[in-house]
Amino acid sequence: MNSTIQLIIDDLSTVIFGKQQQIKLALTCLFSEGHLLIEDLPGMGKTTLSHALAAVLGLSYQRIQFTSDLLPSDILGTNIFDAKEHSFTFHQGPVFSQVVLGDEINRAGPKTQSALLEAMEEKQVTVDSVKHALPSPFFVIATQNPVHQSGTYPLPESQLDRFFMRISLGFPDKQAEKNLILGLNNRNYDDLPVRINPEQLAVIQKEINKVTISNSVVDYILELVAFTRQDKHFVNPLSPRASIALARAAKSWAYIEGRDFVMPEDVKAVFPSVTDHRLGLNAGDSGYALKHVPVSL
Amino acid sequence: MNTPLINTVLSLLFIVTSGFLFTEVATPFLAILAGLSFLNLFLGKFYKKLNGLVANILAAICLVALFVLVGVSDTVKLFVSMMLLASSFKLLQAKTVKQYQTVCLLVFFNLSTVYLFHQGLFETLVVSVLYIVNFAVLGYLTSPQSFKAANKQSFKTILLALPIAAFLILFLPKIPAFWQLPGPKLAKTGLSEQVNPFSIAKLAESDDLVFRVEQQPGQDLQAPYYWRSLIHDEFNGSEWLISDILKSQQFNPIRRTITQSNSVNYQVIAEPSSSNWLFGLGFAQSANSDVHSTYNGLLKRKGNLNKNIKYAVTSSEAMLSLNDFEKRLYTRLPKTTNPQTTALANELAAEHENAQAYFNALLDYFNQQQFAYTLTPTSMYGDNTLDQFVFDTKRGFCGHYASTAAFMFRVAGYPARVVSGYLGGEQTKAATLNIYQYDAHAWVEVFFDEKWHIFDATSVVAPERLNGSLSQLGDLNESFNDNLNFGLKRWSHFKAINWLRIHLEELDYKWTNWVLTFDQESQQSLFDSLFGNKSAWLTPLIVLGTLLLSFTGYFLYNKRPFRSREPLVDDITKLYLWAKKQGIEPVDTNTPLQNIALIKQQKPRTEAYLSEFEQIIIEVRYQQQSYNQNRKNRVRVLLNSLKTAK
Repeated sequence: MNSTIQLIIDDLSTVIFGKQQQIKLALTCLFSEGHLLIEDLPGMGKTTLSHALAAVLGLSYQRIQFTSDLLPSDILGTNIFDAKEHSFTFHQGPVFSQVVLGDEINRAGPKTQSALLEAMEEKQVTVDSVKHALPSPFFVIATQNPVHQSGTYPLPESQLDRFFMRISLGFPDKQAEKNLILGLNNRNYDDLPVRINPEQLAVIQKEINKVTISNSVVDYILELVAFTRQDKHFVNPLSPRASIALARAAKSWAYIEGRDFVMPEDVKAVFPSVTDHRLGLNAGDSGYALKHVPVSL
Repeated sequence: MNTPLINTVLSLLFIVTSGFLFTEVATPFLAILAGLSFLNLFLGKFYKKLNGLVANILAAICLVALFVLVGVSDTVKLFVSMMLLASSFKLLQAKTVKQYQTVCLLVFFNLSTVYLFHQGLFETLVVSVLYIVNFAVLGYLTSPQSFKAANKQSFKTILLALPIAAFLILFLPKIPAFWQLPGPKLAKTGLSEQVNPFSIAKLAESDDLVFRVEQQPGQDLQAPYYWRSLIHDEFNGSEWLISDILKSQQFNPIRRTITQSNSVNYQVIAEPSSSNWLFGLGFAQSANSDVHSTYNGLLKRKGNLNKNIKYAVTSSEAMLSLNDFEKRLYTRLPKTTNPQTTALANELAAEHENAQAYFNALLDYFNQQQFAYTLTPTSMYGDNTLDQFVFDTKRGFCGHYASTAAFMFRVAGYPARVVSGYLGGEQTKAATLNIYQYDAHAWVEVFFDEKWHIFDATSVVAPERLNGSLSQLGDLNESFNDNLNFGLKRWSHFKAINWLRIHLEELDYKWTNWVLTFDQESQQSLFDSLFGNKSAWLTPLIVLGTLLLSFTGYFLYNKRPFRSREPLVDDITKLYLWAKKQGIEPVDTNTPLQNIALIKQQKPRTEAYLSEFEQIIIEVRYQQQSYNQNRKNRVRVLLNSLKTAK
């Protein structure tokens, strides 16, 4: 495994115990220039992970706590009349940072949700018909509670699709939970060492682009995608955007594993995270396609 | 689609095809065809096509030109020209892939028409290359790749087709064509059983070797060399034929005493031929078992025609007498024909009482009356062609003079016959003579004083024709070379070219001999030599066998077990099959490496081999390295080692 990335994972593991796989997936998402959605019950460490991720990548970040009364302008910013200058000046909202941590995104109303999602898609914000470019890189790491919980406005499919990956942390194992109780974890994630700067991140992303993906692997991806389109198990079949995301994620995963070529194993590793939210599946159904589609030799 | 490239290649194909018809179709019309192709080349450069109205007007003009320039007398040429014209216009207007495909299809037909006129090795090779190019264009149209790759593919396809073609030629029964095209009408020199020079307008010379003569020390042959092959004894008013009587006498010869003198011995090596006559000087006889000596002193082939034959000949002057039957045979004439020539002959005969005097008088007549020797005589039709020749045109080659002279001898009551064969020969080595097709000649033999005397009017009209080969004559050389199409003969004074010419000739002979002359008879003899005399029921069997083979081949091809085109996949399948035999069920939703891990777990001893196999899978399947012979061999070894490792 890439040594810098190993360091990042080690650092994050001091904050979140026993969740190496999820940490790697989260990094895969960010290396693929995708937005990450972390979905789990309250108190599972979603917010902790998202903050730790932003810190360790050395990116400027701001946190937005979504509530039911949050307004779009609270996120995007607003034009305020400057009495001295006799003109309106734009005051940037919290969305203007490299990493936006959207906590409990599904607690806000649809209007506010879509304000953030528009920014995610277009990497710019339009206020009073003036466009304001967002910084680069621009990541949204959002967390949400499971849909069935009260006081939530579920994200529509089209908006879920904008998230490159959805991961859930799941309960820690006994030993990890014991350590948490004993307070052995690093609660102060702001103190995590910065392991890479934005330039290095750009280099990593460039190198991921160069990772070889052979025909046999592409065929496997195509067969997986085709399966979701044919099988009645799936309400929302995968779109070409999803296939592209799958290939991209597999490349990043391979890179994190320290390889410059993709194997079907990589596709299998990222498949649930990349596709579950697009397919409208909940965690229990994840990997249904993997269990039914033969791997092309 | 790379339109300019396709356009250019197709235009060039048309130009080359037209070039092949150079000797056959009127040159101005070929110029029109070439012009259309060049126009297309020019337009193609600018991605333009001919406007519909302009094209139609142009087509109408060209159609009129076609009928005016090519004419309707020769239907084959007319239709070939028409097709070339139509395809040229199709190309001029082609825009879509489909239209270009149609043009390609037409080019296949156009190219095939070349074989109507030329079947030589050179033309066949060139046309084959053009076929390859055309196939490449077709391939390039349907699946865009590089044109070079398309050519390579097309070449491979044609190579694949070769064995099939050879099989079909060799074994498929030769069925006569469903319809017969009138063959291109161009007489070549060479011999035939009929001598009718009058309908021939242009003699195409062939520089094919006919036979070689090896002289023996001290037995020099005396020029002029009249190599006798055929005797034509029957005149039907326009042409000289071999009568059935004469043919039957081959098997039932007239017995008589012949006194031979001035014998000379030599050897003849005859090239393969489509007919059985051979060559000898004077009264020729041969003891060779493959040669039949007729009582007329001619030689005939007995065995296989498609072989070189070498035979020793003894030639001599023969003294003999004709019986009454023969006298009648050699003085027979149709009742009323060529009245003017008959009158002339009677007049001359009245003036000159004996045969020798009449003989000389005829020679003088041809000498004094401004007759000319030419290879491009005026063709004559209708009755009384001899009269037309003697009194009007007075231009002709040996056939004209021989026909006329033999007729005039017969009118005067002297037994006479037309003999065809070859005159002269090219001295290649000191004692060797080469005789070519263009040495073909016809002359008259007239009987008096107990001897057949050679009467050759050509000797007075063109005396130089007697000495040596036609090719060595100064005067006629020009018209002779004009008639030799693309021949290397005219350059033969360069040694290297002459050497090349001789070898090319040999090659061309083999082509002619093995491929072009392969007819029903040759096929029969091939069957005979292969299967003995059971070949009667063999033909239907071969047809059935071929059909059966094709069908089974087709079904086998369709039913063939699926072989993946991806490298290594078959070998991974083999590994899985082996694992199954060992009781380990590979899971198909597992990746190959996961399955291998499974096998490793169950059979720890195979771990080393499997790890190497894994590495090769990674390299070939995921890192896109080639599955080269090295790796293939290694995988084979690994798979074999697994079986022993257990």
